[in-house]
Amino acid sequence: MRLIRELEGLQAERGCLDEASLRELSSRLGVPLYRLEGLVSFYPHFRTEPAPPVTISVCRDMSCHLAGPEHVADALREELGGTEGLAVEEASCLGCCELAPAARVNGHPCQLQDSAELASSMAGGDPGLGGDERDEREWKSDPYGEAERYGVLRAALESPSPTDEAERIVDALQESGLRGMGGAGFPTGLKWKLVRGEEARPKYVVCNADESEPGTFKDRVIMEELPHLVVEGIALGAFVVGAEKGIIYLRHEYGRAKAALEAELDRARVAGLLGSGVLGSDFSLEIEIFVSPGGYILGEETALLEALEDRRGEPRNKPPFPGQVGLRGRPTLMNNVETLALVPGILRRGVPWWQSAGRDGHAGLKFISVSGHVEKPGVYEIPTGTAVAELIELAGGVSGGRALKAFAPGGASSNFLPADHADVPIDFATIEERGSMMGSGALVVVAEGTPLLPLAANVVRFFRNESCGKCVPCRLGTQKATEMIEATLESGVPLDWSVIRKLNLLLGETSICGLGYVALNPLISVAEHWPEEVPGCSAEAPE
Amino acid sequence: MATRRSGEQMISLSIDGRAVQVLPGATIWEAARLLGIGLPVLCHDPRLEPVGVCRLCLVEVGEPKLTAACVRGAEDGMEVRTSSERLEACRRGLVELLLSDYPVDASDRPKTGSDALVELAAELGVDWPARRWSGETGEAPGSRTEPAGGIPAGDGRALDGTSKVIFVDHQACILCDRCIRGCDDLQVNEVMGRTGKGYQTSIAFDLDVPMGESTCVSCGECEKVCPTGALSLVGWEGPPNDAAGSGDVGWEVL
Ligand SMILES: Cc1cc2nc3c(=O)[nH]c(=O)nc-3n(C[C@H](O)[C@H](O)[C@H](O)COP(=O)(O)O)c2cc1C
Ligand code: SF4
Ligand code: SF4
Ligand code: FES
Repeated sequence: MRLIRELEGLQAERGCLDEASLRELSSRLGVPLYRLEGLVSFYPHFRTEPAPPVTISVCRDMSCHLAGPEHVADALREELGGTEGLAVEEASCLGCCELAPAARVNGHPCQLQDSAELASSMAGGDPGLGGDERDEREWKSDPYGEAERYGVLRAALESPSPTDEAERIVDALQESGLRGMGGAGFPTGLKWKLVRGEEARPKYVVCNADESEPGTFKDRVIMEELPHLVVEGIALGAFVVGAEKGIIYLRHEYGRAKAALEAELDRARVAGLLGSGVLGSDFSLEIEIFVSPGGYILGEETALLEALEDRRGEPRNKPPFPGQVGLRGRPTLMNNVETLALVPGILRRGVPWWQSAGRDGHAGLKFISVSGHVEKPGVYEIPTGTAVAELIELAGGVSGGRALKAFAPGGASSNFLPADHADVPIDFATIEERGSMMGSGALVVVAEGTPLLPLAANVVRFFRNESCGKCVPCRLGTQKATEMIEATLESGVPLDWSVIRKLNLLLGETSICGLGYVALNPLISVAEHWPEEVPGCSAEAPE
Repeated sequence: MATRRSGEQMISLSIDGRAVQVLPGATIWEAARLLGIGLPVLCHDPRLEPVGVCRLCLVEVGEPKLTAACVRGAEDGMEVRTSSERLEACRRGLVELLLSDYPVDASDRPKTGSDALVELAAELGVDWPARRWSGETGEAPGSRTEPAGGIPAGDGRALDGTSKVIFVDHQACILCDRCIRGCDDLQVNEVMGRTGKGYQTSIAFDLDVPMGESTCVSCGECEKVCPTGALSLVGWEGPPNDAAGSGDVGWEVL
């Protein structure tokens, strides 16, 4: 954490990390130059040349692709070309897909069409836009009135036997069936139990707030609006596994979430809920926020740990898993923001409440980011088991009154499903039965009339752009597949489907991490359901 | 089942149906080696900390996912398979993928060892344009144009001839990281690392300066451990790809 923070500090001070600054840092810290080069060239938020006063970052990914023409950044650059002190750059999903086509102007989210105006208003100095006025929303996952917050943590710390209490919490979570909401869906109670059982000390709790999957922005809203549940979730995790240190690994773009979390951590400190000897008990806890230097791959749990250890964010070979060998080689409990935020409600109201909060036999509540072709994109908190079609209705229906053509239920890495699957109840098992996955809980809606090969190409390109490059299949395979699909889109030459299948086999079987595993899945699913849109694929039955 | 031997817990596993015992901490690759089972490797070298990036040593251990033998610790009761149709398809595919970016003349350059990538391709019977010795054909050395296994060919990465001792062909580099570990860990010269990300990644010296302008001390370790024609010797008169080799490249059992 130290070296990356040094680099960030230096960049803030000098405007960029030029050669002289890096050489200076290298001799001051005794860190070899190659290590600095490795970091500065890997993380997108480091730069070696000064940035102009105003930068418009234009999202190029899935939800924004659905909302606007390709090459919008080029068009914008042309329009604003020559404007003194202004740069236009393309960026990966900015985590504000409900604004699609989205942009950020010096980090402030906006719709692309408003970006030029916002940029000129910033030209004379960044006014530091404050929080926007937003209706206070009621979230069913929040069990508290304001005065009752941290009730579960308080009760746990007051319990005469912390051991019994920790075990009760693990049992309740296991009974609830809560699963990880970061993408992999690992049972949360079991994870807490395993990390609790590890003997090595110290232990750590990491809240994975790196949310960067195209179409996904639920964690951002949870952190902005329910930060107390996130902090309490981390504290409960630390109490159960025996950790005294929590880290929130936050994606770079989430300035507003950062402010909300910082304010919440301050409140918790003042209330004696953090620090040494919390509420007079033996339990001590510090929580700090670490801002990611950028890149989707950092959300992968072991890449995230590498970044925290000041290395390039390249996923580790697993096993061992972070629960056994995590941060600095110590047992580390890592959970997604939403997973942690759901814990206090389940413990406060009890497992029966959680089980009845879902529908038709499905347990619990689920936050879903809805984007793409819908009237009211945004984050919806739904009873698990709600059908995709109902959620689309909640979100105002398919935009422009069009018919539904396809949807991705779990963000860019999930397989596309055709409209006739919109009856699927939203839950891990039910979506898997239809051949896709819950993933990061991001429903991306595609209206009739949208060509799907360009959309699949967009997703494959995203994985190519975000591959860390560590392992052969993903570093080369995502590039080769992207080249092939682009050639087909440009000239209509059929895809050599046997090669696509070979690349898909290599990615799925031989990659180190989940990015590689899924990189071609969305393309394969388009070929499976809409073979007529993928020249070349129908020659052979797709896998 | 662990057996106690002079106070030491041994790990018992089976590889291709043959039982073997190893000390805790040993990898599957090391256990296989004890049995004389050679697994193909490009990124591994027994003198280096394994990184598991080339994925050629993948084996089946009865889990849904394949696992890289060079980094995976041996576990009690593990049943390892080192060959199957599935594994062969993966290995051949990985080699095809690597060859799709590999310039044909790179394998002709003088090296301390042999070109392990090209040897492995031959071993696995991977379809690749026959090696063209520029000396024999009279053709100017050039990058390959025919796709390996139908995979689009890549080209255009830089050559770096600034060092008096070692010639760098970035196009021939498979990013096995052996040179990096050789330089930083074995020799502790701390000159080499990776720069960039994804497909744009390459090896780099210091702050990505030409090798001849870097803090390189010309020890030659990187060239010695490099399994391809990416790092070769400048001005060496010996035969290309010295058959004797250094013995630590390729997938020969040592
Ligand atoms: C490429 C990739 C990106 C990921 N990004 C995230 C992310 O942004 N946030 C997250 O919570 N999990 C992400 N994950 C999943 C994490 O690796 C990990 O499974 C998760 O944080 C565990 O928490 P959970 O059990 O609460 O879901 C990602 C996984 C992969 C393979
Ligand atoms: S699969 Fe891709 S992202 Fe994951 S380790 Fe390999 S190169 Fe990196
Ligand atoms: S130069 Fe050679 S040793 Fe170094 S990473 Fe490339 S192929 Fe491996
Ligand atoms: S902000 Fe564009 S896809 Fe997320």
